[in-house]
Amino acid sequence: MAAYIIRRLWQMIPTLAGVILLIFFLFTYFGGDPALVLAGKISNPEQIENIRKQLGVDRSYAYQLWVFVQQVFTFDFGRSWSTNEEVSKIILTRVGPTLTIMIPVLVIETILAIVLAIGVAYVRGTLTDRTIMIICTVAMSISFLVYIIVFQWLFGFILGWFPVQGWSESFWKNLFTYAPLPIMLAVFVGLAPQLRLYRSFFLEEINQDYVRTARAKGVPENVIMRKHVLRNAMIPILTNIGIYIPGLFVGSFLLEVFFSIPGLGREVVTAVNRSDFPVIKAITVYLAMITMLVNLAVDVMYKFVDPRVQLK
Amino acid sequence: MRQMSAMRILVAIGVAALLVTTSIAATAQQKVLRTQFRTAETGFDPQQRDDRYSVGIMENIFEPMLTYDYLARPVRLVPLTATEVPKPDENGTRYTFKLRPGILFADDAAFNGNKRELVASDIEYSIKRFRDPVNRSPYEWLFENKLVGLDELTAQAKKSGKFDYAAKIEGIRVVDKYTISFKLKEPDYNFLYVLALPNVVPVAREVIEKYGSNSNAHPVGTGPYLLKEWTPRFKIVLERNPNFRGFTLNEQFADPKDEWDQRAIADLRGKKLPLLDRIEIYPIEEEQPRFLAFMNGDHDVMLETPFAFINQVLPNGKLSDSLAKKGVRAFKEAQPEITYDAFNVDPMKSPTIGGYEPDKVALRRAMVLAYDNEQEVRIARKGQALAAQSMVPPGVVGYDPLFRVEANQHDPVRAKALLDMFGYVDKDGDGYREKPDGSLLTLNYKYNARNDENRQLAELFVKGMNEVGLRVTSLPVQFSDLLRDRKVGKYEIGQSAWIADYPDAQNFLQLLYGPHTDQSNDARFRLPAFDRLYEKSLTIPDSPERNALYREMNRLIAAYAPWRMGVHRVFNHLMYPWVKGFKKHPILYTNYMYLDLDVAARDKAQGSR
Repeated sequence: MAAYIIRRLWQMIPTLAGVILLIFFLFTYFGGDPALVLAGKISNPEQIENIRKQLGVDRSYAYQLWVFVQQVFTFDFGRSWSTNEEVSKIILTRVGPTLTIMIPVLVIETILAIVLAIGVAYVRGTLTDRTIMIICTVAMSISFLVYIIVFQWLFGFILGWFPVQGWSESFWKNLFTYAPLPIMLAVFVGLAPQLRLYRSFFLEEINQDYVRTARAKGVPENVIMRKHVLRNAMIPILTNIGIYIPGLFVGSFLLEVFFSIPGLGREVVTAVNRSDFPVIKAITVYLAMITMLVNLAVDVMYKFVDPRVQLK
Repeated sequence: MRQMSAMRILVAIGVAALLVTTSIAATAQQKVLRTQFRTAETGFDPQQRDDRYSVGIMENIFEPMLTYDYLARPVRLVPLTATEVPKPDENGTRYTFKLRPGILFADDAAFNGNKRELVASDIEYSIKRFRDPVNRSPYEWLFENKLVGLDELTAQAKKSGKFDYAAKIEGIRVVDKYTISFKLKEPDYNFLYVLALPNVVPVAREVIEKYGSNSNAHPVGTGPYLLKEWTPRFKIVLERNPNFRGFTLNEQFADPKDEWDQRAIADLRGKKLPLLDRIEIYPIEEEQPRFLAFMNGDHDVMLETPFAFINQVLPNGKLSDSLAKKGVRAFKEAQPEITYDAFNVDPMKSPTIGGYEPDKVALRRAMVLAYDNEQEVRIARKGQALAAQSMVPPGVVGYDPLFRVEANQHDPVRAKALLDMFGYVDKDGDGYREKPDGSLLTLNYKYNARNDENRQLAELFVKGMNEVGLRVTSLPVQFSDLLRDRKVGKYEIGQSAWIADYPDAQNFLQLLYGPHTDQSNDARFRLPAFDRLYEKSLTIPDSPERNALYREMNRLIAAYAPWRMGVHRVFNHLMYPWVKGFKKHPILYTNYMYLDLDVAARDKAQGSR
């Protein structure tokens, strides 16, 4: 397994090189001239040239690419163009609030989706199954923004069950006071598609010959579902969770913007609005790295879930 | 002996209890104002930042030599750290200021435990910082081609890579510890307004050198408050500056008929200001949470009520019953600003609408006539705006309330006639007009994609143009891209707005001054007649003669149509009854140093929060 992991880590280098080149190309050719954005209300070409010089965007593309590569490997993306804060500090201070929301969302949503999906898969074709599927379809067809606006208004303002918005210095206060409504919203919105997807994974397993054989041998239903169906369905479920994990680190920008959560998602939106390329570049590269590492972790976990899987 | 010890213990317990009670009472009495900004700040180095919200915070931390009287309308300059408002000498080219002795900066580690007094060389240093290329100051233009010798210092710094702050120049002369004299290259009767800008404030050189590139996070000034806590784009906390000398409300220029003035006087008369101990500001960019945070009582004041909620707050222009019952008050303010659509007049960059030939001018004028400004006020602005008649908004020196030209009024019939006359007719019968040479005529309208309000305005523009047979494509773009495109002339028609830096028409009219192309003249308008009038207006102090020049310039704009005038927006600021002393200043964004808070009334209304 160690050899496999080392080989996969080694293979990440060309992937990362591709990511770096792609990001550099996109920002250089389509990002436009940042000096024009930063120059203020009244500026002349000479001042704009001075800003270009200070940002280093007047240097050759090869030099700029080399600086970018250095930044990626030293984790030092310099300073934000719009606020002059250190980019690394922005990321480090913002990732906590994002994860305070997104980790509970992932855990609650996954557990609920698995439990409900295995339940409806077991009673497939019944009125309960069809009702839940209809609810899921309706829930999925409404925009997240609508949920946020309605839930914030109803539960935050009218009923006063949760604060309308806010965040504090205390982790526990955040988790138990400010986070519940955004978490509830994200779970509510994310649950329907997950439930449908996981249901299909379970249905596929329930219809397999080995399940029929187990039933014929008189194995109790709960053992069949828990030991055979759930375990076999975990491979695609794990893959799905793996896809979801990198997104945890940027959170839901809509939740962060509407509930005043000082997280990474909100930073991304602000950075885009201000053409703050160092921040956008750092977050993009860092997400690409997390995606690669999570993919590796998921592949390794397959082995633990299903011993038949060979890591080659 | 034992009795003595017991007595001592009892006394100690009593004293401790008294201290705890006093401390609790003191905490309970703390006047903490909680409020919000609708856009996030960027930092607090006065020479490096120009956004309204960062500057709004800096207004409380730093002090310019001059400021505006809180109550006077029209606005009026008054001395702040200077002893008086100086008179221009040498035909408007020399201004000499005397500072009040004994003004102290807030304490900071950079001062090594010593008290630091404000002196004239701090002003010299700070003004030079605007021109130091390292600072990339967005307000560099304020001192460009302005003070004798300063441009040369900047040029030298660009060559050597280091700005020589020690160099003495004629343009900024420190006469003595408290006296500074400025020599201008040309007369400028608005220079005093420049020195009243909340950015044109002294910073201490030791502080800037200590914090280097982190100067945005370490503002140290002589103002009433200091930055206690800052989580960028989430929370800003100001607390009283213990070194601040305090002041009392100036009632001299108050309007006896203005209820806000009279109420502020009743609330603040004779009190030593500032009164608030702490101010917590939360930038919230989305409209709903910002509105609900106020409605919920989380915030005491809401500046600029979102337009989306205006019908709930002010149905039919009157405060809603539910808010009135809670004692909420609304302050209505027509801001010294204008929204507009700039037409790219440069024929090289915008051949369809650019140029000064009669057919190009006719096309632009027809677009002005085709747009229904009153509809914009009614629908998109929900009645919270005034249709602009000229470039100069109300509340600004040079504003003429009687100025009105037919060319700026909505008149689709005239628009159609004008287009017909110059050959813009529908030749292929598809319902849209072609160019005079018969080729396809499609105009591009770029707007800020950030909010619904701008999208609605774009839709109104397209609708108005379609009604007279002009085909327009609206292109939503990121705000930063729109800024960039306007600056380089990569657009045909672009949405825009301008808010006064200082309250004089010149600050608006410079937007169409020919030599400002590539700077602030996004329309790239170059009309020699306009430029001559503008240059002449700079040499004349505020007078009927200068107002006549401003009027003439506005007539030329109506005739050549480099802009379609939009509106002057009206904002409604809401506050709960426990907020005392409120009046919104048209130039300064915040007024915390004039506010008081009835904490007991708030606690009673909200229970213990």
